[in-house]
Amino acid sequence: MAKLTSLLIFSSLLSLLLLSLSPSYVLADSHFEGFEPELDDLEDDDLSLPLTDLPLRPPPLTQSEPEPAGISSLDRDSDAPDPVAEPSDPQSPPSVSDFPKPSPTSFNYWDEDEFEGLPIEQPQEPVQQSSKSAEDSASTNPNSDSKPTSQIPKHANAPKSYTVEIVCGSFLVIFVINYFTGKRENENIALSWAAKFATKDSIFEKNFSLLGVGEGEDSPLLLKEGQNVFKFYASGRRYCQGLLATMELKSRHDLISRLYNMVVPCKDEISFEVYMNDDAMDHIIFAVAKKKAAKAMQKDLRDLQRFAGILAPPRWVPEELSVISESKEVAADLITEAVLDQVFGEKSFEKFGKYFISMHFSDQHSGMHKKMLLFKFALPDANNMADISRLVALVPYYIDTVGRYKLSSQARSKTEAARSKAAQEAYRELQNARQEALQKRKAEKKKLMEEAEAKLSAEALRRKEAKDRAKQMKKAMPKIKMSRTR
Amino acid sequence: MSTQANDPRQPSAVKPFVAPAVNPQDLPVDYSGFIAVVFGIAGVMFRYKLSSWLAIIFCAQSLANMRNVENDLKQISMAMMFAIMGLVTNYLSPARPGTKS
Repeated sequence: MAKLTSLLIFSSLLSLLLLSLSPSYVLADSHFEGFEPELDDLEDDDLSLPLTDLPLRPPPLTQSEPEPAGISSLDRDSDAPDPVAEPSDPQSPPSVSDFPKPSPTSFNYWDEDEFEGLPIEQPQEPVQQSSKSAEDSASTNPNSDSKPTSQIPKHANAPKSYTVEIVCGSFLVIFVINYFTGKRENENIALSWAAKFATKDSIFEKNFSLLGVGEGEDSPLLLKEGQNVFKFYASGRRYCQGLLATMELKSRHDLISRLYNMVVPCKDEISFEVYMNDDAMDHIIFAVAKKKAAKAMQKDLRDLQRFAGILAPPRWVPEELSVISESKEVAADLITEAVLDQVFGEKSFEKFGKYFISMHFSDQHSGMHKKMLLFKFALPDANNMADISRLVALVPYYIDTVGRYKLSSQARSKTEAARSKAAQEAYRELQNARQEALQKRKAEKKKLMEEAEAKLSAEALRRKEAKDRAKQMKKAMPKIKMSRTR
Repeated sequence: MSTQANDPRQPSAVKPFVAPAVNPQDLPVDYSGFIAVVFGIAGVMFRYKLSSWLAIIFCAQSLANMRNVENDLKQISMAMMFAIMGLVTNYLSPARPGTKS
């Protein structure tokens, strides 16, 4: 990225240099003399106008200033309010009807070739326009001021349209307004979540002794990271070191992504990471998700991919869900009666299923904490936060369930074998990588040594040569001397 | 569901929150800032004012999405500079050559 941008900057600087050089091009008028005949040719070829039109065209251009023609052809954005037609207007009224058509085509051709001359030519336009507008009847000016967008197609003669400015300016204003309202909306959602689940006598207050991201009694509950990400931290509970909830809300503050989300809808999500104590979690790899998501998870997440597989749909789980687990035993033990009753039962899942995204417990996570429970839910709007209270209650429930859970000896031996195998593989990979690095370093060293040697030998060679030369000189010298003495 | 008879809380096991150190390389790429730079440069080079305006809009988006202040500000300020330069050359420079001729 940085490289790319620097390249862009370089190219832009180059272009600026071009711009600064361009006055000389323009001041030498030869530029424009070459300009016109070709323009005519183009018209000839493209539109096959009757020949009688051609002689008409050059005179107005050369009579008035040559620049306007260049300007008009270059500066016009596709909505062609035709400055060419205007200067010629008073002088040759009959040709007016012909001009507007050909010039846009010439614009297409001329733009790329001529943009070197462009910068200086263009500037003149507004001046002329201002004078023009002064000359013109007052009718055009009020029009452009009041509502140009609608007027433009009607008045092809309008000197300049401010469509771009008005559209972009109003978009910017809306963007700014939306920024503040969207920010407020997101904060409301996050705060209502915190009010529901992290204040006094709420789920998290009953389960954790430290709530919030700071230290002390009234530390802030939520940590804001960007405009649409909020974090909540809790700690001080048996079986786990801490819990980090991350709310990723829609980018409501950003008008562009908001528009994008109208096409591609997304949800407000909250994900919980529970860092389990090392001694409080047995070999468990287990995940529940909607069917499609489960397939993707099984493919993407390394621990699931290596140790677990998608189970044949167990009868106790609603149809939309699929379970990924290392063994059937674990799955059966973790989806208890209580959970089925509260969340995953047929009836309750109808109610809460839309907020459930996934659940993933593993003792083989990559990263700092290996033993983690991950929960991912969708968030309802600020007023209906109570809808997910049962889902949130799953978090402490599973901390206890997993914390207490012990595998049967049979399953444990199996999982232990798998883990030791994986560990061995990892170790071997590490070893390989290390060896490769070592070899690389050795090769580099060797190369360096060789280079140094080559340099040295070159130097030695040179010295030797110098010596030889000196010797020869010496040899030659005495002769001369001898000859002299003789 | 929380049918535990005893209190699960353990004040002794509290670990204060430590913000995980984030490598600047890991942050999501700021596409809007990049697009703003591209549009800004295009606006200056081709004297195309729509492009400069788009650059300003994407600057605004990039500003709105900014997370790491020092890191992103460089790019945004650069894009902003190009966009404003494009607009200035587009709207203000006409006076100069006009007086010349």
